Amino acid sequence: MHNKIDEGRFRELLEESDDLQSDAMRTARTGLNDYVEAAREACVSAGRDASRWGTVAAAAGGAVALGLLSSPTAWAAAGDDVAALQTAAGLENLAVLTYQTALTLPFVGGSSANAVVKAFATKTKDQHSEHAMAFNAAAQRLGGKAQTGTDPKYAEVVKAAVPKLKTAADVVGLAITLEDVAAQTYVKDVGLVTTAELRQLFASVAGVESQHKAILLAVQALVKANEPQLIALPPDIPKLPAAAGSVGFPDTFYPTTMAAPVDEGAIR
Amino acid sequence: MSIFPRRARNAEMAISERELSAMTRELDDLHESTFPQVRKALDDLTANLTHVVAKPSTRRGFFLGAAGAVALGAAAACTSGPSGAPNSSSSAAPPPPAAPPETYTGDLKVVALATALENLAVTAYGGALKKAGAGQLGTVPPAVATFVQTAMKQHSDHAQAWNAVLSKAGKPLINDAPLTITQDQVNMLNAATSVPDVAKLALNLENVAAQTYTFATANVTDAGGIITAATIQPVETMHAAILNFILGQYPIPDSFIGVGNSLKPDMLTVK
Repeated sequence: MHNKIDEGRFRELLEESDDLQSDAMRTARTGLNDYVEAAREACVSAGRDASRWGTVAAAAGGAVALGLLSSPTAWAAAGDDVAALQTAAGLENLAVLTYQTALTLPFVGGSSANAVVKAFATKTKDQHSEHAMAFNAAAQRLGGKAQTGTDPKYAEVVKAAVPKLKTAADVVGLAITLEDVAAQTYVKDVGLVTTAELRQLFASVAGVESQHKAILLAVQALVKANEPQLIALPPDIPKLPAAAGSVGFPDTFYPTTMAAPVDEGAIR
Repeated sequence: MSIFPRRARNAEMAISERELSAMTRELDDLHESTFPQVRKALDDLTANLTHVVAKPSTRRGFFLGAAGAVALGAAAACTSGPSGAPNSSSSAAPPPPAAPPETYTGDLKVVALATALENLAVTAYGGALKKAGAGQLGTVPPAVATFVQTAMKQHSDHAQAWNAVLSKAGKPLINDAPLTITQDQVNMLNAATSVPDVAKLALNLENVAAQTYTFATANVTDAGGIITAATIQPVETMHAAILNFILGQYPIPDSFIGVGNSLKPDMLTVK
């Protein structure tokens, strides 16, 4: 592919991006701690008489240990939350592995790679790694195990696809699938998990996976249109085809039909 | 039909555009197949909110639907309720007149906020199209024109969906943008003289919308409202990613979507 990028400017952009990222991570860590406390409270409250909910919620304050739980309902709620977090971590681990593998290919991470695609793959891999850490940290604080493996269903998809990755377009197509499944899973999980903080955590990551998908869709369109030289930062906007302005966001409401089941990547 | 002057394009580009347009149409078809799910969530939301509106005394039960969630209604009450000091004296002045009842409360206030924000986005993109048509933004590249038209349509659909909830709950529709930030945004649009000016304005609005929906997922209590916010938020973040790209900025700067710049219910200027 033809490289068309100001490398120095791109490095600056990545550094600026990392500064922003550090701020966002601090917020996320705070949110994570809040989530764990709230999840414990919700777990406890779900095991009590509903008429006492207000009292329990007000008094919990993290002082009630998970070991006090006796209601099967409460365990189920906590279990679903942990399972969702472990499934999410499995999807993230798979994404990290896939981008890592892609970066070993000459047309993604090697000398013939488009610099923007290479930088995108590297940065996106790191972002998925941070997501995995966040999900696993939450799962562990709730008493679950960290999911260090990959999502079983989509690991098979990747395993079957890797030997067939012959072009950047092949890699982009596979990455779109993984990003879309992750985003759809997290959107659906927002409606399934038991606490406000966990809903926010899943939503905050879903928004990022969908951004990965948006850029990948735009890249895919340009590659398929045989215009890879237009994959540049800053882009040559006047030369971009009109449809490139909308191909990145095809849905008015993000779908969830491809969402992974909440326990797909759960571990005991 | 585009309102922009037709740009001369070479034959190679025309072929590419056909292919890209075909892909867009395929994706539109996919979208149409996913919309019924959202419609069901909105119908559920409407049914639940209508029930709540009809039975205001069930406030506690309303909260029980999502244990641990912080209700926006409560937050709004804290921030916009009577602000006088506690009544420490029994002598004295008559109590201040009671504030008029709010039209939009609880989850419905968030619905109204979301509707207003979507309308503001439609206004901004619509204003950009008008300025472009009048030649006030310089040459507008075709990809940017397509972006603006498509994003505006999606925001309009979001607003329509939220307004349907308000309508079914018996509340007045929000057909404009009654927000504390609106005038500043309009001023910025009026001052815009180039595509990058408009893109920066739009990027800010998309980021605010994405963060507001992220905030909403944690602060709305109704399950239908939560999932609707969750399905709209990624669309706004995707708009933002493309706008970052257009501006020559790294398209996905953050690993997590924050809430620090989200709109809060007290930024809705209608009660």
